[in-house]
Amino acid sequence: MTAAAAQGLVRLPVWRARVVLVAFGAAFLVLAARSLYLQALRTEFLQEKGEARYSRVLEVPATRGRILDRNGEALAVSTPVKSVWAIAGDVEADAAQRRRLAQLLALEPRELERRLADPGRDFVYLKRQIPPETAGQVQALRLRGVYQHPEYRRYYPGGEVTAHLVGFTGVDDAGQEGIELAFQATLGGKPGSRRVIKDRLGGVVEDVESIRAAQDGRDLVLSVDGKIQSLAYGALKSAVEQHRARAGAIVALDVRSGEVLALSNVPSYNPNSRARLTGAQLRNRVITDTFEPGSTLKPFTIAAALESGRVTPATLVPTAPGQLTIAGYTIHDAHPQGALSVAQVLQKSSNVGAAKLALALAPKTMWDLFKRVGFGAPPQLGFPGEAQGRLRAWRSWRPVEQATMAYGNGLSLSLIQLARAYTVFARDGELVPLSLVKTGAAASGEKVLSTETARAVRAMLELAVQPGGTGPRARIMGWRVAGKTGTARKLVDGSYAPGKYIASFVGFAPASDPRLVVAVMIDEPSAGQYYGGSVAAPVFAQVTQGALRLLGVAHDAPLEPVELPGEGEQAREST
Amino acid sequence: MSRTYVFARNAPSAEYDRSLAWAALLLAATGLVMVYSASIATAEASRYTGNSPAWYLGRHALFLGVALAAAIAVFLAPALWWQKAAPWLFMGGVALLALVLAPGFGREVNGARRWLDIPFASVQPSELMKLAAVLYAADYTARKHAVLKSFKRGLLPMLAVMLLVSWLLLREPDFGALVVIAVTAFGILFLGGMNGRHFAALVAMLGTGFALLVLSSPYRMQRIFGFMDPWSDPFGRGYQLSHALIAFGRGEWLGVGLGASVEKLFYLPEAHTDFLLAVIAEELGFAGVALVIGLFAWIVARAFAIGRQAALHERHFAALAAQGFGIWIGFQATINMGVNMGLLPTKGLTLPLMSYGGTGLLANLVALAILLRIDWENRQLSRGLNA
Repeated sequence: MTAAAAQGLVRLPVWRARVVLVAFGAAFLVLAARSLYLQALRTEFLQEKGEARYSRVLEVPATRGRILDRNGEALAVSTPVKSVWAIAGDVEADAAQRRRLAQLLALEPRELERRLADPGRDFVYLKRQIPPETAGQVQALRLRGVYQHPEYRRYYPGGEVTAHLVGFTGVDDAGQEGIELAFQATLGGKPGSRRVIKDRLGGVVEDVESIRAAQDGRDLVLSVDGKIQSLAYGALKSAVEQHRARAGAIVALDVRSGEVLALSNVPSYNPNSRARLTGAQLRNRVITDTFEPGSTLKPFTIAAALESGRVTPATLVPTAPGQLTIAGYTIHDAHPQGALSVAQVLQKSSNVGAAKLALALAPKTMWDLFKRVGFGAPPQLGFPGEAQGRLRAWRSWRPVEQATMAYGNGLSLSLIQLARAYTVFARDGELVPLSLVKTGAAASGEKVLSTETARAVRAMLELAVQPGGTGPRARIMGWRVAGKTGTARKLVDGSYAPGKYIASFVGFAPASDPRLVVAVMIDEPSAGQYYGGSVAAPVFAQVTQGALRLLGVAHDAPLEPVELPGEGEQAREST
Repeated sequence: MSRTYVFARNAPSAEYDRSLAWAALLLAATGLVMVYSASIATAEASRYTGNSPAWYLGRHALFLGVALAAAIAVFLAPALWWQKAAPWLFMGGVALLALVLAPGFGREVNGARRWLDIPFASVQPSELMKLAAVLYAADYTARKHAVLKSFKRGLLPMLAVMLLVSWLLLREPDFGALVVIAVTAFGILFLGGMNGRHFAALVAMLGTGFALLVLSSPYRMQRIFGFMDPWSDPFGRGYQLSHALIAFGRGEWLGVGLGASVEKLFYLPEAHTDFLLAVIAEELGFAGVALVIGLFAWIVARAFAIGRQAALHERHFAALAAQGFGIWIGFQATINMGVNMGLLPTKGLTLPLMSYGGTGLLANLVALAILLRIDWENRQLSRGLNA
């Protein structure tokens, strides 16, 4: 070593170290220059590239407006939930994590695998609308490629009671049925958007700017009174069960304002859990279905006869022998009578009497009146799928058709059209426009009947619920009522089916100063009774009594128990 | 005696090279902070770390503590001791490199067998080999000084052992370590006075060899093309580099602030190891990068100055070892930073003293401790004392 050192001392080439050092110096200078270039000159380009990778525009969900009843009770509210989605190719999870994820999402493990294996689809929903607590547990798994976004789920506190009225929204928070669909523009909010910076796993790191603020939907106050609605649904449901009927429908209107106070159908469904929904449950028999009304139409025939000036309530109409044959078609009365006054024709619900009164009128006169009270035209509620019913043009009427239409056969209408038409009698000849939204103010109607005629028919309708009429079971304690029963044979595939009836009752109260129109329809009662006076009238009585009490309407009759006739004692209408 | 007198006049007042020690400590401390910042999100998201955000911080701090303790111990040992130990250390390093490849010993991560599991930690033999290679090359050059110009006796033995080491490193594979070790070893030979023509031939040969290696492996080819134009395939080959460059661009002059990097949030892979500088660039800006470059430049400059000083004291081994450390730290830092900035192909080399990794940190700090010891001995000699 010493020899080498002695030799090497002067030979260790200093210049080489200098060269290396200079090379390093140059390298460091190049690095510094490059850094300067990237961090001072290329920043715009590079930041733009960065933005493209992690700057995202997020949708800010807007809350859907609530649906409230006229007293402010909630009928539909939105609750925050989460939807879990994944980018199938990015998901990194071992078998245990997948099992846990499937368990949390209440999915079959195989179903989860199927969704994650879906080829050609980057974005796949694993489960929509899960509760926030479950979403938190999913988040805690920290799975790469699995993401969540907030949504709102619609909740209907009223459940099946308000199902047909309120309707429901689809999974994308847009109305699909009922009020939810009809007032989508009011209820639906406009989602906003904001720009954020996200990490690669999708977490929001930084809020950069708000592009557009979310506009929440507006609340909607319905005309419906939740208490009357519950009462109506309960009474209807027990009647449908008691009479083993296929279905039933009921609607209650405020005579002064035209507001719909209750609207209900049986069978109903739970809008919060619509997994096993049948078509029958979804049908809205008040607004979107029509039926042949039967005798409940007679008051309009009589009104047309009175308006023509040819008859007065006291004019006698011969109805013996209880049947009438026109062009080979025979009209029957359930109980043959002799000569009946016009008022009695309605009270006893004589088909022959109604037909004779109709045949004395020109078809156009009768058609005009039907048209004026709203038959054959949609009731303009703004509700989706409103039926307009069937009212054929008068020019095509044959005499036999005109005669049967007098007692409500050969034309069809919806229950709400019928209920609205009765406001004409309750409002001295005015047809009131209807509203599903709370107005809280008296509405001005269109005059379609003379005051005298309207009052005369009203008196007759009050008579029809007295003993000796067809609807005494419609009476209630403390208020006078007026109304008409209907028992229509049911049209099945274009012909009247034997033994199948639609029992109905339409009436109003208090008769001295009407506040409420209630129409009830029971489809195919099959527990023995099928007359409107036995099946539908008691529902009318129960609902009307409760509703008048809830509305605080003054009594116009002594508070004495109403004597109800024994079975078979009341008069039966013919159709 | 007169020699001692000459140097005593210029004898520095301090006992040791404070600026060098502080530069190294500053880099290591900044590294600790930045490793934490860069790893916080990935550590929290990983089940491997038990979702603990400070997992890498804790480990790195522990490594740093152990490495500093080792450095102090090393500083207390005479530099000459390392010359004596150098061949043995080198043989030990080769043995470890072989052991890593032996079935049942090495741990494979991402297709590379680079780690040996020992209780409580894992060791990366290639990092230790870098240290051993400097010591061995310095000792070799000092020992064979008389015959260094001879091809057969001077260059060939070194070439032979280097081929062995290269073969072992390529088996892992650890191409980055191979480049660093080869450049450092032959750099020392070059500084020690090897035949200039041999050196030129060697450079030409190594250049051709590297080119062949690169061209023969699709995996290395891919890395090359990614660096040429990361924006042509920013989500494929250019993914990592494009994110590193975005980090630089976002940093601007003063950075987005400590902890505020977006790139480290799962976009930039290896943020706490190979691409730590990109996170520094984003969070601390050009100021941070310039500081890092400056500190490394200072360390290299000091290493060469210390080497020169040792040479003036006729301490050949010490001189070559000191400059060898300078080449090693400087070269690896340059390559790493060049990779981060898109000047060089992605190599899989960490930033010395800063990146996460216990073995690397230990090797770097031990090297600096030896460097400081050599300097200390220089100063002792300058004062006329025995080293």
